[in-house]
Amino acid sequence: MAEISFPLPDLGEGLIEATVLEWLVSPGEQVERNQPLVEVETTKSAVELPSPQAGKVVRIYGGPGDKINVGEPLIVFEVPDNTAGIVGTVPKEEAPKRRVRLSAVFDED
Amino acid sequence: MMSGRHTGEQHSHTVEGTDPQLYVEVHDPDADAGLRPILLIHGFSSSSKLNWEDTGWLSALLAAGRRVITVDLPGHGRSGAPEDMDSYSPSRMRADLLQIAFDAGVRPVRAGDPSSGLDVIGYSLGSRLAWEFGATQPEIVHRIVLGGPNVADPLAEFDLVAAQRYLADGTPIADESTAGLLKMAQALPSNNIFALLSLVEAIKGEPYDPAEAVPHMPMLLVAGENDERAASMPRLAELAATYGSMAEQLVLPGRNHTSAITSRGFKQAAVAFLGS
Repeated sequence: MAEISFPLPDLGEGLIEATVLEWLVSPGEQVERNQPLVEVETTKSAVELPSPQAGKVVRIYGGPGDKINVGEPLIVFEVPDNTAGIVGTVPKEEAPKRRVRLSAVFDED
Repeated sequence: MMSGRHTGEQHSHTVEGTDPQLYVEVHDPDADAGLRPILLIHGFSSSSKLNWEDTGWLSALLAAGRRVITVDLPGHGRSGAPEDMDSYSPSRMRADLLQIAFDAGVRPVRAGDPSSGLDVIGYSLGSRLAWEFGATQPEIVHRIVLGGPNVADPLAEFDLVAAQRYLADGTPIADESTAGLLKMAQALPSNNIFALLSLVEAIKGEPYDPAEAVPHMPMLLVAGENDERAASMPRLAELAATYGSMAEQLVLPGRNHTSAITSRGFKQAAVAFLGS
């Protein structure tokens, strides 16, 4: 199994941080791609971030009220080794232009 | 889960002889529950994308098998920003919403036909419009959900002169509510600030008076516990009850006027309320 970490994505409009409102998934939970992961609030709005992929949640960062900077870790998934290489691809039926999406950062080790 | 087909277009059906230039999208679910469509009305300085898409509402309603109609109010989102103030008056916006509903195939409510009529969900300014729309269109509106509602419209108290002075030469705005609303409007570079001020001016010409016309269909009122703008929600519920309308209230712990929107409890309550 491999672990994949996703940072808080760029939320646009020059925002550099967001506050966690509520996690909608917990460690150990198997989630589907596009399943709502977490609600976050910025100085301008509140958004719900959908899961960029299917996998088992290993870790989540920040509880309600905690601030997370754009680019800092948000969630770590465990996925089978043979699928680790294809994460981050955008499914064909999606209309990605209008969604805020997470993208993967691979650990250096 | 933003599944389902959708069609979006600049709404070009003229109402009272003018084209409202409103951007409308109709979203069809993958598995249709056979229930009436839901019209979503966003808040001041927001848009269908910010208020309903990015917050997970559209996905949640489509997942519940509901057909969804979204519209960007004039001067907001992808709608046009007409120069005449009439386009921004609440009565004109309600007429446009009615035309949009009919163009989307909405039919009058018929007893025993769950696909007939229209459900409406509004947030903030959208709740004011939904209250008035429900009160004036009882033939087509089945149920309404009002988020972040208020008995008065904070925009009616907006100090336009101070705002215009601030925009012209930076003179500080004394009124806290006005300063806050303007800051919110300016926070999004995509906002057309002059269109939004036209909207404020039009609203001052038609201030909100919920007692003037009270909806008779069942309603769900929802607000964040820390939402100062919606502190008067219980008075709206009392007003509805006075006229014999069923009004349920839901308070979202720890949420404010902004963070209430994404709340899962809010979405689940709305889906359940409109599904019955």
